[in-house]
Amino acid sequence: MTAQTVLRVQINGHPVEVPAPAERILLDLLREDLNLTGTKRGCDLGTCGCCTVLIDGRPTLSCLTLAAMADGRAVTTVEGVSAGPTLHPVQKAFVEHGATQCGFCTPGFVMTAVALLREHPHASREQVMDAISGNLCRCTGYTKIIEAILAARPGSSH
Amino acid sequence: MEAAPPPEHRLLGGSIPYVEGPLKVAGRAEYTDDLKRPGMLVGKLLRAPWPHAKLLRIDVSKARAMPGVYSVLTGDRYPIPFGVLPITKDETAIAVDRARYIGDIIAAVAAQDELTAERALAAIDVQVEQLPEYTDPRMGRTRVEAPIHEKGLNHSNIQKEVVQHFGDVDEAFRTAAATVRVRASFAGVTHAFTEPQCTIAEATPDGRLTIWSSTQVPHYLHRSLSEVLGLPMHRIRVIKPEVGGGFGGKSDPLPHEIACAALALETGRPVKILFDRDDVFYTNHGRHPTFNDVRIAADADGHLLGYDIEAVIEGGAWSSFGTVTTYYNGVMAMGPYRLPNFRYKGQRVFTNRPPSGAMRAHGGTNIRYSVEVGLDELAEQLKIDPFDLRVRNALPPNSTTINEFRITSTSFLKCLSAVRARSGWADKWGRLPYGQGVGLGCGFYISGSNSPIHFTPKMPQCTVHLKADMDGGITVHCMQADIGQGSNTLLAAIVAEVVGVALDRVHVSAVDSDITPVDIGSYSSRVTFMMGNAARRAAEGLRDRLLDATHQLTGYPRDALQVRFERYEVDHRPDVGVSYMDALHQAMQGTGALQSTGSYTSPPVGGTFKGARAGTAPAYSFAAYVAQVAVDAETGVYAVEKVWAAFDCGRPLNRLAVEGQIHGSIHMGLGQLMGESMDYRGPRLMNPSLLDYKILMPHQMPEVECLLVGDDDPEGPFGAKEAGEGPLVATLPAVANALYDAVGVRFYDLPITPDRVLKGIDRRQADGRAWKGH
Amino acid sequence: MHLDPFELHRPATVDETLALARELAPGFDYLAGGTDLLPNYKMHLNVRPHLIALDRVSELQEYSLDRLGAMVRLADLDRDPQIARHYPALAEAVHGVATPLVRASGTVGGNLLVETRCFFFNQSYFWRASLGFCLKADGDRCHVVPQKEKCYATFSGDLAPALMVLGASVEVAGPEGRRTLPIEQLYAAEGDGIQRVHLRPGELVVAVDLPPEGRHLHSTYRKLRARPSYDFPELGVAVSLRREADRLTGLDVAVGGLETYPRRFPAITQPEVGQTLDSEGIGRIAQAIQSAVRPVHNTAYPPDYRKRMTGVFVRRALTDLWAARGAS
Repeated sequence: MTAQTVLRVQINGHPVEVPAPAERILLDLLREDLNLTGTKRGCDLGTCGCCTVLIDGRPTLSCLTLAAMADGRAVTTVEGVSAGPTLHPVQKAFVEHGATQCGFCTPGFVMTAVALLREHPHASREQVMDAISGNLCRCTGYTKIIEAILAARPGSSH
Repeated sequence: MEAAPPPEHRLLGGSIPYVEGPLKVAGRAEYTDDLKRPGMLVGKLLRAPWPHAKLLRIDVSKARAMPGVYSVLTGDRYPIPFGVLPITKDETAIAVDRARYIGDIIAAVAAQDELTAERALAAIDVQVEQLPEYTDPRMGRTRVEAPIHEKGLNHSNIQKEVVQHFGDVDEAFRTAAATVRVRASFAGVTHAFTEPQCTIAEATPDGRLTIWSSTQVPHYLHRSLSEVLGLPMHRIRVIKPEVGGGFGGKSDPLPHEIACAALALETGRPVKILFDRDDVFYTNHGRHPTFNDVRIAADADGHLLGYDIEAVIEGGAWSSFGTVTTYYNGVMAMGPYRLPNFRYKGQRVFTNRPPSGAMRAHGGTNIRYSVEVGLDELAEQLKIDPFDLRVRNALPPNSTTINEFRITSTSFLKCLSAVRARSGWADKWGRLPYGQGVGLGCGFYISGSNSPIHFTPKMPQCTVHLKADMDGGITVHCMQADIGQGSNTLLAAIVAEVVGVALDRVHVSAVDSDITPVDIGSYSSRVTFMMGNAARRAAEGLRDRLLDATHQLTGYPRDALQVRFERYEVDHRPDVGVSYMDALHQAMQGTGALQSTGSYTSPPVGGTFKGARAGTAPAYSFAAYVAQVAVDAETGVYAVEKVWAAFDCGRPLNRLAVEGQIHGSIHMGLGQLMGESMDYRGPRLMNPSLLDYKILMPHQMPEVECLLVGDDDPEGPFGAKEAGEGPLVATLPAVANALYDAVGVRFYDLPITPDRVLKGIDRRQADGRAWKGH
Repeated sequence: MHLDPFELHRPATVDETLALARELAPGFDYLAGGTDLLPNYKMHLNVRPHLIALDRVSELQEYSLDRLGAMVRLADLDRDPQIARHYPALAEAVHGVATPLVRASGTVGGNLLVETRCFFFNQSYFWRASLGFCLKADGDRCHVVPQKEKCYATFSGDLAPALMVLGASVEVAGPEGRRTLPIEQLYAAEGDGIQRVHLRPGELVVAVDLPPEGRHLHSTYRKLRARPSYDFPELGVAVSLRREADRLTGLDVAVGGLETYPRRFPAITQPEVGQTLDSEGIGRIAQAIQSAVRPVHNTAYPPDYRKRMTGVFVRRALTDLWAARGAS
């Protein structure tokens, strides 16, 4: 076992100190060390997007990020998207529009969509499709995911 | 006629968001890998690097001696074979004596962590004698030197051979005015669900074993564990957490599940086995690589006279559902048309490759492609519009097919007319410029296999228990496996609808074999129909008790009472009534919590000849799709721009779920058509990753218009039929026929990748044929 | 999947980085965005005991229209309208890299030095052990073109061809100081899928310099792949040209995704400069480039198709650019 470094990370708004060896992957740190299992492991090789989290607001593949790279930064996981038991508008829209079926890819899509709408609150359909083109879904054919993200835009009629 | 719900339907027929949706979007739904048990060990599997080898000696002594290693298992410890079909049990938890494909499990380790487990695997020394490898199913049908399984027909690799003949096909072809022949090949495809398989097993000192597993078939897993481990079923508890997609890939009891349980028994500690993505590909059980040869005969007016079908399907290393698949590759050609003569010869052949099994629209996809492309060719030959050809041949409601399928409801003609009108067929077909085209594809599918696999058809396929207690909540127990298709939601909605309560009063508790009565699993598109009926009956039982209580409280006769929202009222006297809670508390007097049971047993249908049960179902879904494509004829790259999907699922009970199933089916069907492929070189899978196995991304999805035009089915719950698999099959031929309309080329090899499109166009030009075929 | 243990170093300056490199050579890899290196490490491909992370080396973050630091994130280029306006080929190439999530971490330097790819290399340890290891990792033979000398892994970066036709150069820093070389000279035409760049031991890409003339070119990058995202190029074609009235005053074509290195074609394109460009000329250039390239069968699409598409893509790019009016 290699030497452990204590990482100081803001996780969902809370400062956390967690020891980790250099080779620790952020996804493993979240799921195994911090018991934040909302972030999913789909392929572990950076393709499926199920493990998407935000680092300093940027959607990031946690399976291809060393935990050490999150030291001193703010990590938001799906558990931190909304406060308490309420849902974020993106999450609400995913439920109402049937954008989640098996749900395994959903946390990744939610994180991607939250980041997109933060940067482009009035994102077009084309922008939505581009933004989610690194998240794989095998259930929905993406149709209802796109509808949900469009509906979650502020001022959207849905 | 119209599928609008009767006024008393508050929920069913509308769009019902999934009850577990809020948990899923918040990352709080629990999948197997999200669970931890105290003292849990990591299980890892050693996979064979050889395609076909006799295992001479496996030396695990070094691995066993490593610190942190708790158990190293080889196949001899639990050698009893199992399989999803009782007649073809040929899988073992860990290979015994022989490894049959690259990826076959040959040892299992439980260790303190992943790294230790992997080091232990590396320390296992295996001595083998390599055997000849067999990778072409067409070549495995005669005597071979070393058959992959001993029971292979006549020392060959044939696992199953089916020969069926109804009517007189030779005579039909002799008298036919037109015949066509389609010979096609289909690469294997796989489910590619996003959640890799994961299993946790724990043996406890009370002599019980508990298993949590990502499975579509908790009950079949339960049986297999019992058989292989030698534990009675009542000492095994099967729990199915949330499942991240299945599509048939989790509808077999799988070797790693048994191996995980075996490691738990050996160590006395909980053990988790989590698959890497390449493990998922090696486990496969996906759609069979297929070669089929379909001849179709018709009279001068386009009335079908007969089909003559041959199919060779590649089974890979194990039997799995293969016997069923072999039948399905013939009998799934039976609808949606009236057919007087039918002959089929199907062979499923073992190869030294990952096992094939059941995948969404199991057995019905590849044969449907060849039939529907053949019908398009037939229509052209006879100069009949493809729609008219199908209208002329549509199976009528309440009819029987020549192989004795009982057809009850069919709205196939309504599907045809709806999609013909909405797609603008008359203005488009044969009229669009070069490179653009439209095509029609149709299909049908079973709404639940009529035969439960492991017990007599007289036992219920599904049982639902309800419990209503003082809190006013209703708990629903059922082993139906929600894998994302929305069966928990439908279960809750049916109960809420029938009992007349708010949806949030109903809580579905599934799946836990200690608590939930048996449903045989999420496969063969059986859940809506069978669970739906069982749930309805259970809910009606509860409702009747509440109406009895209302009668007691109001004095009005039982048949004068009506279910209203959270209230039971006297007909035409809305002022006289009892709230749900008051009725419930009245009914509970002297008895405590109310319980109610409902079950579904499939009806006796089908013939008595050998294989007659294959493809029988209490109902069938029907589909007619039009696809529109645009082809870049210089690169072969094409886009499917729109699909009009007319589908008869009877009454759609949850439109959100039905549309989601149609979208997802089209995505999966298009994937198989456009690029997905288990890409083998010899025995070796070249693309066991989500980067190289190319499932479609958003920009490749067409706009989809769902046309839900089904009439109520007489036996379906509230008139419903399946919508999980039938929506896939029409997709592929609709696009292929549209490609023909666009560039004048027929495609007989799937997937239709751009390089193949280009080659097809080259061939047509070399033959001096114009692109306009009609 | 886990990573084998390694030691992580996080220098703050180029000098510190080079000192570490000297000390640790050859047992280290540089870590940029990690989107290429870490999947390979997870598959136990050429794993080394030390990683030198470059994320804290501020000089590598430099970002202007003239100079792109090696650690500039592709996502930042992707969202910059100035890049799209002045260097269309670069913007198109960047946008075509993998997925938005990969681009969020992936870097300019990482894409330039992306590991060459091959069916027989980008596989798990188990897979490779089952077939027998190859030249590029742990073995001594090539499975693509069976022999024991040359590796045929395919160069799969998108940025390099685009930067080539924009006339970019690359600054590298090493133990013996800094040097700048035209981007095409970064790649080893005489090498193979293993000996793929002209970097000396420990040398580090610092930045890409874009010459001002690049802004006056018509340019484009076209990518062939199975899906409009995710996939590495089956073919990448970059073209730039300058046109004055009916005369071609500059022309450059580069391709990637076909051979072990990204390749320019000055012998084909230079004679055209000074001429007018009609469809016949365009066809001639496209055909010549198509004939020159030698893809092998180690990616998703068959080599004959990729070769044929090279001609189509070059012709279409030239036709479109020639038709575009005026220089930007």
